[in-house]
Amino acid sequence: MNERQDAVEVVGLRKVFERRARRGLLRRAPNGAKTLIAVDGIDFRVKRGEIFGLLGPNGAGKTTTIKMLCTLLSPTSGTARVAGHDVVREAAKVRSSLGTVLTGERSVYWKLTGRENLRYYAALYRIPRRKARERIAELLERLELAGRADELVEKYSSGMKQRLALARALLPSPPILLLDEPTVGLDPQAARNLRQTIFDLQAEGKTVLLTTHYMAEADDLCDRIAIIDQGKVIALDSPAALKEGLGAKEGVRLEIQGEPNGLGDALRAVASVESVAVRPSANGVGTCELQVITSSSRRSIGPIIESVRAAGHEVVHFQVVQPTLEDVFISLTGKSLRD
Amino acid sequence: MIGTLLAIARKDLIMFFRYPINAVFRIVEPIMWLTPAFFLGRGFSVDGTATGFAAYTGTGDFFSFILLGSLLGAYISAVFWGIGYSLKMEMDSGVLESNWMTPVPRLAFLVGRTLTSLVVTTLNCTGVLLASWLLFGFSAGGPVGKAMLITLPMLAGLYGFGFAFAGLVLLMRDANTLVDVSSFLVGELSGRGFPVTVLPRALMVISLVLPTTYGFDAVRALLLGTKPLLPLGVAAVVLVGFMVAMLVLGGMAFSAIERVCRARGTLGMH
Repeated sequence: MNERQDAVEVVGLRKVFERRARRGLLRRAPNGAKTLIAVDGIDFRVKRGEIFGLLGPNGAGKTTTIKMLCTLLSPTSGTARVAGHDVVREAAKVRSSLGTVLTGERSVYWKLTGRENLRYYAALYRIPRRKARERIAELLERLELAGRADELVEKYSSGMKQRLALARALLPSPPILLLDEPTVGLDPQAARNLRQTIFDLQAEGKTVLLTTHYMAEADDLCDRIAIIDQGKVIALDSPAALKEGLGAKEGVRLEIQGEPNGLGDALRAVASVESVAVRPSANGVGTCELQVITSSSRRSIGPIIESVRAAGHEVVHFQVVQPTLEDVFISLTGKSLRD
Repeated sequence: MIGTLLAIARKDLIMFFRYPINAVFRIVEPIMWLTPAFFLGRGFSVDGTATGFAAYTGTGDFFSFILLGSLLGAYISAVFWGIGYSLKMEMDSGVLESNWMTPVPRLAFLVGRTLTSLVVTTLNCTGVLLASWLLFGFSAGGPVGKAMLITLPMLAGLYGFGFAFAGLVLLMRDANTLVDVSSFLVGELSGRGFPVTVLPRALMVISLVLPTTYGFDAVRALLLGTKPLLPLGVAAVVLVGFMVAMLVLGGMAFSAIERVCRARGTLGMH
């Protein structure tokens, strides 16, 4: 990778899956082929030393994109280059330039100790034995695994397994890291520690491309974000610029009692309301949350509350908030990231 | 590359001995299987010689015939299980992708995963030979080095077969049945447990098409003095041809299927 080159360049990348339905053991059902466009001609570039996020809901195409970049999946069309190498024609060079952590905790051997796992993967990356020993000790220390390095991985917590997977990815000191949903399944403290590690890696000059569906994480971590939905990049900029893109718009959070049947449409009819997303509240008491993007909360609060009451609902909680990345997503797609 | 293969084997060995009872049983169990064959052979023998058997094979030493077949058959199983089953295990445990994201060529993983199988099989075979010598009076009086030499191209050819087979496991995402059935059929039809000349004509044709048949046959001819199906020189040429053809074709088949799985996105599925 030369000085001026982007770490990752993706041009018109597309992945289409064809799934054939079967009737019986061997026969294919007539007209049974279903086409799923997982990634639909996306373009983006990740600059060297940048933390770049792919933000989108589950099934948006983030993991498919990561899998194409790390050569586990071949693109249907388009091109992708990692550290200047084409992911199809120079797959081995791409794999040498990358450290990848895919989502899930089963990317290491549970019947080996943490140290044995790293020793094994170091050999796969052809790191000389003495250097590997030093590197493993350094990574175990850095990722706070040194104290339990000689215990079987099956005894590790989820956070420890995730840190070990990161240590595995860091073994060859790759210039570029791909992290697929790195904090999924971690407790808040473990997630915070992992985010700090990602910042530290950036400070060392590494490029990080990560996927997440946590807006706060993307906002906190990423220099730039590509918001991806239904396989398409629908916005790409820094978190601040994306939020500024909403202009004077504001977010209104409403929590109501009961099911919001038809309320979304009623709110969309309010003059200053631009988009509405509805989702069940996470508090487990049968309430629903409505996220409303409005050009003026001052002018729309009255009509919003009137509409809610007219629909027979009681407002449990009401809050005007500064736009978040989720509001950006709602404004672009009309739905919540968690839909 | 050697270092990588050894690292894969070392990892597998560590994990193999993490289940100590299974490890001990795997090494001891072939002796248990062979014992009934010894007594069965004795039941059919007159004055220590199985005369009907001798008419087919040229030796009345029924037990030694079975023993050598079992030992060679164990290596066939080692390659099949080492490649096909271990690939499936990695798919199931979720580590296939983390392995395949490293720069190591994918065929190297398949070869590497068989090394532990081969080590364990060699331990098995050594134990079985020792037990057979102590308990059943087995002794082989032929050129052992030559016999081992002739098994090498057969084993290498089986690797090629194993590569194609691994592709099938990747595609079908099933291993146990595939490995069980194919390892059993190849072993039996190659004459692991009986002389192939006793087979009905239709089955014998299949046996004679399998190059492994000539491997089994040549080793027995060298060590037990049985009547060979082909002159030994011709058998050696057949086995070397098999090795070259299978390594090339098997490698190509695996790469083609792996490309299909990468396009379908089924690599990490199980």
